Amino acid sequence: MTTSGLEAVFFENRDRLLRFLAAHGAGEAAEDVLQELWMRVSAAPAGPVGQPLAYLYRAANNLMVDRHRALRTSERRDRDWSDAAGATVPGVSDAPGGERVLIARERLRHADAALAALGPRAEAVFRRHRLDGIPQREIAAELGVSLSTVESDLRRAYRAMIELKGRLDAE
Amino acid sequence: MMDDMQIRDAAIDWLVRQRDPAFDEWEAFGDWLAEDPTRAAIYQELAALDADIGDWFAVAPSPVSAPDPVSGTVRIAPSSLSRRRFGGWLGGAVAASLVAMTGYAVLQSRPDPYSIETAAGERRSVRLADGSSIDLNGATRLILDRRDARVATLDRGEALFTVVHDDDRPFIVHAAGAELRDVGTIFNVVRDGGRLSVAVAEGEVIYNPGAENVSLPAGRTLMVRDGDAVVRRRAADPAAMVAWRQNRLVYDGAPIGDVAADLHRNLGLAITAAPDVAARPFRGAIALERNDDRFLARLGPLLDVTVERGQQGWVLTARDK
Repeated sequence: MTTSGLEAVFFENRDRLLRFLAAHGAGEAAEDVLQELWMRVSAAPAGPVGQPLAYLYRAANNLMVDRHRALRTSERRDRDWSDAAGATVPGVSDAPGGERVLIARERLRHADAALAALGPRAEAVFRRHRLDGIPQREIAAELGVSLSTVESDLRRAYRAMIELKGRLDAE
Repeated sequence: MMDDMQIRDAAIDWLVRQRDPAFDEWEAFGDWLAEDPTRAAIYQELAALDADIGDWFAVAPSPVSAPDPVSGTVRIAPSSLSRRRFGGWLGGAVAASLVAMTGYAVLQSRPDPYSIETAAGERRSVRLADGSSIDLNGATRLILDRRDARVATLDRGEALFTVVHDDDRPFIVHAAGAELRDVGTIFNVVRDGGRLSVAVAEGEVIYNPGAENVSLPAGRTLMVRDGDAVVRRRAADPAAMVAWRQNRLVYDGAPIGDVAADLHRNLGLAITAAPDVAARPFRGAIALERNDDRFLARLGPLLDVTVERGQQGWVLTARDK
């Protein structure tokens, strides 16, 4: 689908996308966010888009999560203005400072430990899913377990990550 | 009415399902969000955490998980090792080549190594029997094998590998104790001043397939410093990676210490960075030239440093205030 094709789908589904953004907490800014969404989508490199509406929804979802993340980062920056380490920005080079490397390594060690504590199966399920991007169904087949086992392992792993994040932020 | 814990678990389920590129239940997800305004907040917090998790593990991907090979309760198919770590778009070809690789090492015959060296400021190109070529930058030592055109060891310096891809016989580069395996590729490797850096201009390279197993697609660089377990990756302009062959060095935040090492290799200039500027990042392009005086006169303002003559050559130091 070309950009103009995507544009047609975008305008046809304008109201649905607006509703989605509003449900996502965009509130009164939903119209502005929709504008931003179109800017993003139309600026992306043109490529084949199989399911244009699903593509637009996904982009809308990512946009809301990014906004949340950006807000959270700037809040944190205001709070810990003296924090030399700062936040790692994906795609941007880290400062060569040794401190940040130590922090990153420490964080990874904690994350590895938290996963290991779940037991080998749940750890493998989480790594396969989150780090390797393998769909749940494939993981279930690979490990010879049921889909619901994979689901519950992933829930446990995410709970452990939430708990870890809470601890890291409190430090 | 769901309590926060239930919402959180439901949000995890949505997040997990949405990772599937074919997920198309966005309307149902929107309806779920709309039922209760706290849901969006909890979901977003979780999705943000999920992105953080990606960053945590991207710093130095831990060895591929095969938790208990003895009991055999958890088996990881070799066909799909980490192929989607950078997103799901790397297709089955990569998986297929990984399968083909596993049996390869056993077949190698006895090695018959020879080395090629360049002095600082010198450059050489080598063409291998399989049609692959290697461009050596200055101050470089490369070890090749007469019996096996598909292995090379970069002892020190910098080399640009343009590899003719062969699914059955991956090209393997050893450097700084690490193994780099090509998956159809043009890639640049620097082994100098306590760092190993790999930049992929085309195709894909796998760093330490038997251990960290980090996949580097085109447009990515990887850097490891000696004695440091952290493997750092970032995006980079493929054209910038190979610009040294056009006598241009392009940087996006590299420490000045590394820039000095690059200048030594490329020009044969004895040049180092003093500790007060070595870690300072530099962004910009440096056009190389053979006229040392003119080059050094230009270099100072460009790097925002003073170029001083020291006992062992030129030293880059902080500018006087």
